[in-house]
Amino acid sequence: MSKTRLTAIFAVLLVGVVSLVAAGCGSSDDSTSSGSETSASTEGGGEPLAVGSDIPYPPFEQGKPGNYTGFDVELMEAVAENIGRTAEFEDTSFDSIFLDLAQGKFEAVASAATITDEREKTVDFSNPYYLSEQAILVEEGTPIDSVEALAGTTVGVQQGTTGQEYVEEKGDAGELRKYPQGPDAVNALKSGTVEAVVMDIPVAENAVAAGGGLEISAAIPTEEEYGFAVAQGETELLEEINEGLKKAIDDGTYAKLYEKYFQHAPPKSIASATHEAS
Amino acid sequence: MQEFVNQFFDFGFMAEHFDEVLEGFWITVQLSIISGVLALAWGLILASLRQLPGRGFLPVRAVTIAYIDVFRGVPLLLLILLIAGGIPSLDFLPEWLRLPQWLGKPDNFWFGVLAITITYGAYMAEVYRAGIEAVPPGQMEAARSLGMSHRQAMRSVILPQAIRKVFAPLLNDFIALTKDTTLVSVIAVNEAVLVGSDIQSETFNSSALTLGAIMFLLVTLPLARFVDKLISREQGRFTRGAPRVEAL
Amino acid sequence: MENGYSGAQLRLHDIHKRFGKLEVLRGVNLDVRKGEVVCILGPSGSGKSTLLRCVNLLEPPEQGEIYLEDQDICKGPRSGTGEQSWNLDFVRQRVGIVFQQFNLFPHKTALENVTMAQEKVLGRSKSEAKQKGTALLERVGLADKLNEYPERLSGGQQQRVAIARALSMDPHVMLFDEVTSALDPELVKEVLDVLRELASEGMTMLVVTHELGFAREVGDKIVFMDAGVIVEEGRPADVLDAPREERTRKFLGLVLDR
Repeated sequence: MSKTRLTAIFAVLLVGVVSLVAAGCGSSDDSTSSGSETSASTEGGGEPLAVGSDIPYPPFEQGKPGNYTGFDVELMEAVAENIGRTAEFEDTSFDSIFLDLAQGKFEAVASAATITDEREKTVDFSNPYYLSEQAILVEEGTPIDSVEALAGTTVGVQQGTTGQEYVEEKGDAGELRKYPQGPDAVNALKSGTVEAVVMDIPVAENAVAAGGGLEISAAIPTEEEYGFAVAQGETELLEEINEGLKKAIDDGTYAKLYEKYFQHAPPKSIASATHEAS
Repeated sequence: MQEFVNQFFDFGFMAEHFDEVLEGFWITVQLSIISGVLALAWGLILASLRQLPGRGFLPVRAVTIAYIDVFRGVPLLLLILLIAGGIPSLDFLPEWLRLPQWLGKPDNFWFGVLAITITYGAYMAEVYRAGIEAVPPGQMEAARSLGMSHRQAMRSVILPQAIRKVFAPLLNDFIALTKDTTLVSVIAVNEAVLVGSDIQSETFNSSALTLGAIMFLLVTLPLARFVDKLISREQGRFTRGAPRVEAL
Repeated sequence: MENGYSGAQLRLHDIHKRFGKLEVLRGVNLDVRKGEVVCILGPSGSGKSTLLRCVNLLEPPEQGEIYLEDQDICKGPRSGTGEQSWNLDFVRQRVGIVFQQFNLFPHKTALENVTMAQEKVLGRSKSEAKQKGTALLERVGLADKLNEYPERLSGGQQQRVAIARALSMDPHVMLFDEVTSALDPELVKEVLDVLRELASEGMTMLVVTHELGFAREVGDKIVFMDAGVIVEEGRPADVLDAPREERTRKFLGLVLDR
């Protein structure tokens, strides 16, 4: 455990030294400080908590730098506040987000990340804070309304998401197009270069709400749970986050945010899932 | 350091994913060759249109210059997104144009080819122009005074000399084009970078990307050396050429 | 005066040409009879080269008429614009020009330089063009250089290829624009010899030159130009030995003193 932590710190040091050398800057103070490499801003008063997220992915994360919003963002802010920290979001690419986390680029990930065994190998997840389903998103009237119906069609997904994994494992797609950004997949659907997109339901709902003649033809229960992630071995931080999350659920903040972003009350199971695990 | 090596230079991992990455790189090669050949031809056409003489061709020249200015100024990435998003939505186009499937390649491959050809055609037109303008005006006069038309003179006298002069810079542009084909990963063309980052997102190991980089170098390095050789040979011709004339 | 083609193969009437604000030719009149060799002298900038380039429409005049074999070649659709017009082919098939800088095609051999236009413009077959080209190159003394590229030839040899190239189009009139000025002195003679031979064969020639000896020997007529007009013209002996005009005397003095 401590070995992993050491290597993580070492990786940060390496990145720090390399970037210092590259910048031609002589000061070496920064490289001895631990963890976060985001510079501190004192908005909320607490010690900053650097959080990585692939923005935009509405309604989970959206907005402009300095003014990010979304379910993940606001929930993480509440969690951080509960533990006396101030969440600072950093926009990053989802396909390398866990790698960056393991290397110490930020301390936590809040990016609609599904908890999977594969990912558990590199990072540690908090208790689930959201239960997700995948949606098949199509143009209105398209008869692709089940996983079986994906057979032989051109399907778009965002690269590195569970949607991709799901289609690769269960859907017999004729061609699978992996877009670096979720919205690109939706645009490809609108322009007609893909016939269906498989993505998280809330994101798909957002795409439908934005107009353009799209509909969700099927919801696929995948028993997916979203969790916040921290680097492996960061037990203390993980416990703090779980505690902060529990507090947010108990005091009603969670429900308020859930209704704000998903227009309905959170499923009861989320509370039990959270309490069970902790 | 070990972490870094494992992350980027895990040779066992590279061997394991070699076939996948090679398959992606093969798409890169196809993109490069098809777009490269088309851009070379398109650039030559643009450069020739730009040289048409007389008042009658003024509109043609103006349109050509505007085209070159615009597409040298628009980032290729943006153009790729615009074309891939825009063309399929043009309902008035027939399906084989909106969603081309030529040579068994999917439509996004061809949108990539189109965007790269449009942009690099503009770049290469400028390279050709530099070559055409480096041919002494006396060549055109000599050809015209022998009764050749402007077109004949361009084709038989000016362009052969111009292309010889700019062969090395054209090849340089081709190397840049090869590297820029990676941009079409944004429209989900399964080329070397997309395959590499896909493997990375599944395995949390970046060595597949490193492998992709190595494959690029295996192609671009020899090309770059070849360009250097051409340039030094061209310079050698000039320094040796003069005394040779005197000697006779 | 209006004695037709046999009398004046080439007739220039009141030729004007300007480049921007600079009026290079300010009303030039000249008659050239068939078989006549006219040598044009004058200080640099006097407009001699421009006059030659007007005759084959490389620089079409803005004003005035040029009659080539009784055809007014300055009139016609889009004349004066530098674009292809009906009379351009007529002119270029009858008038050949040789430049100071040779302007050989460097990517072609000596023979290819001479055959290219024959094939492309006159539509001659490859073998016909080659036969003609070989004969012409032999005539200018380059039988052994057929397959050499220009960069391997001396200046004098290159200029002789250029003459052969112009002759390959069977011109009726030949223009020579300071054809020996870019040559080393020892190479001048071999080129002038070719001109001499051409003159003796009855070719109509306009020769812009600084070679007074050549002009005296070969020229049927000397034209002295200055500041865009013809100052004086006449038989070589008259113009060179007893110039009437002060400007001519001054120029000849400068050239001879050299």
